[in-house]
Amino acid sequence: MNQNLTLLQSAIEAGKRKDAVALTRSLLDEGMAPLDVVEQALVPGMSVIGEKFKRNEVFVPEMLIAARAMKECMVLLEPLLVAAGVKPKHTAVIGTVQGDLHDIGKNLVAMMLKGANFAVHDLGTNVPTEKFVEAAREHGAELVCLSALLTTTMPAMREAVGVIRAAALPKVKILVGGAPITQEFCNEIGADGYSPDAASAVDKAKEVLSA
Amino acid sequence: MNGYERYFATLDGGTPDHPARTPILMRWAAEHIGQAYGAFVSDHRVLVEANLRCARDLGIDQVSAISDPLRETAGFGGKVAIHPQTGASCEEPPLAAALDLALLQRPDPASSLRMRDRVEAVRLFKAKVGGEYSILGWVEGPLAEAADLRRMDNLFMDLFDGDEEVAALLDVCTDVAIDFARAQVEAGADTIGVGDAAASQISADLYEEWVWPREKRLVEAIHAMGARVKLHICGNITHLLPGIARLGLDVLDVDHLVDLATVRAAVGPKVALAGNVDPVKGVMQARPDAIRTAVAACRERAAGPFLVNAGCEIPAGTPLENLRAFCQPL
Ligand code: B12
Repeated sequence: MNQNLTLLQSAIEAGKRKDAVALTRSLLDEGMAPLDVVEQALVPGMSVIGEKFKRNEVFVPEMLIAARAMKECMVLLEPLLVAAGVKPKHTAVIGTVQGDLHDIGKNLVAMMLKGANFAVHDLGTNVPTEKFVEAAREHGAELVCLSALLTTTMPAMREAVGVIRAAALPKVKILVGGAPITQEFCNEIGADGYSPDAASAVDKAKEVLSA
Repeated sequence: MNGYERYFATLDGGTPDHPARTPILMRWAAEHIGQAYGAFVSDHRVLVEANLRCARDLGIDQVSAISDPLRETAGFGGKVAIHPQTGASCEEPPLAAALDLALLQRPDPASSLRMRDRVEAVRLFKAKVGGEYSILGWVEGPLAEAADLRRMDNLFMDLFDGDEEVAALLDVCTDVAIDFARAQVEAGADTIGVGDAAASQISADLYEEWVWPREKRLVEAIHAMGARVKLHICGNITHLLPGIARLGLDVLDVDHLVDLATVRAAVGPKVALAGNVDPVKGVMQARPDAIRTAVAACRERAAGPFLVNAGCEIPAGTPLENLRAFCQPL
């Protein structure tokens, strides 16, 4: 395996953005296909850091700087991917439900999805239910991700699932999460999947999309 | 024993007749007196009335000036909006776009509206129930306040970039916490609560490097004013315990994700541990008999000075009989 790919993956894991960008540039100069850079260095780098976060070996700041490093590499890669006609495999819409302002967990899920080469449209926090439907329609998303951190906003999540289901969006799958959310609650409100953390959110997303 | 005596008996190694009760009440307290949470966070008379009614109706041993995290942020010049239901919010934190301290005002507890309102709450408590209940003032810890001003995600990345500006931001947040604590101690607070919620989300290394020295300076300053210090960090702080043990705290709030016996082993026999029933599953959604059992179990695991508390704020909508059970003398 190309030495620079390994170094790039490590730079992503360590959140070293300058190194990461320089290595991306070298790899492209060497003639490596942009999609290979994404799939063989950036995606595995984000996946390793996500797993460490899940095991409490690293914390939120380490996740944030890894994602920032990836984002800066993507600035170089994205135009090339577009030019080559390469599109992300899946499109997702994500947001924190109405009444809820917590966004750290939601942001981490968004980053991990981006890190797994999803196109992600982040609607922010306190998102009115209809916005999820509008955005899913506008972007042709197959995945809507809902986050809630408050017991008092869990009903807003239930409502959002109901409204998305009622809208004519047959291929849309719904993923839910946030500290008070459980698999039982997910089943009860009729969402397609739940995961307790950002790393497993990616696996869960792939699972519900392939179902 | 009255609430004041009971609380200080716990802190000073005496024997309280039963453990003092110090649950964190904000939304619930407003609800209890039929007031909007927005009024509770913006009018000290509502906050005082709500606390006194809770203390009397439930047998709580401390009244508190805690309301929301954005008192200092408003003082720094952040635009804080008050909503009747959701309370205070700051949509665009003053440093969200740029880490530039020149964008901030220097808060003055005597003239900044939201800070002065909290100082007035403490003064009114002192006039009404001084000596009867313990009076808890409240300030934001250095990391929490810096996160409120800069946004948490930006601040966390700044810590890695490690430039002087982020150190200066944390320093000024510490200075303001000290000023704000002093105004509240002078108005009659016997204890200052320091809320540094964001700290649970960072590693022990970052905590030791950036946060611990400033929390330590804050704790020492409050002690020099003659008041006690309680630290409240929401979330799991197990990895931070070695540092927290060296802060010299009087009271440590322990969230439900943390094992009280582990905390006791780390902080030694003197610090009063307050906690740590799960606020949602253990208080709001549990049956009264289960709540009593849970509180008793916490006392066992705390093995030493102990205050009855949930892991964090008692959620709005918690049934009255649940909170009654929670506060029933052990
Ligand atoms: C930071 C924080 C805040 C910050 C939020 C800053 C921000 N920009 O997000 C501030 C100070 C603003 C805040 C405010 C409040 N908070 Co708050 N807050 C927290 C705290 C300490 C950490 C939350 C966090 O970010 N965790 C870290 C992230 C990484 O974890 P996470 O969010 O759980 O996300 C992970 C998973 O859940 C999952 N996930 C998350 N979303 C999704 C979505 C999908 C689709 C999937 C698959 C997975 C997934 O993946 C993430 C990564 O692994 C928690 C306590 C705690 N320990 O959880 C309280 C907590 C969530 N807050 C609480 C409360 C009560 C409040 C307030 C009402 C307090 C008040 N009186 O003002 C307000 C409400 C404001 C509002 N309207 O939303 C309570 C909620 C209790 C409850 N169950 O109802 C908690 C649990 C504290 C407590 N013990 O009482 N809070």
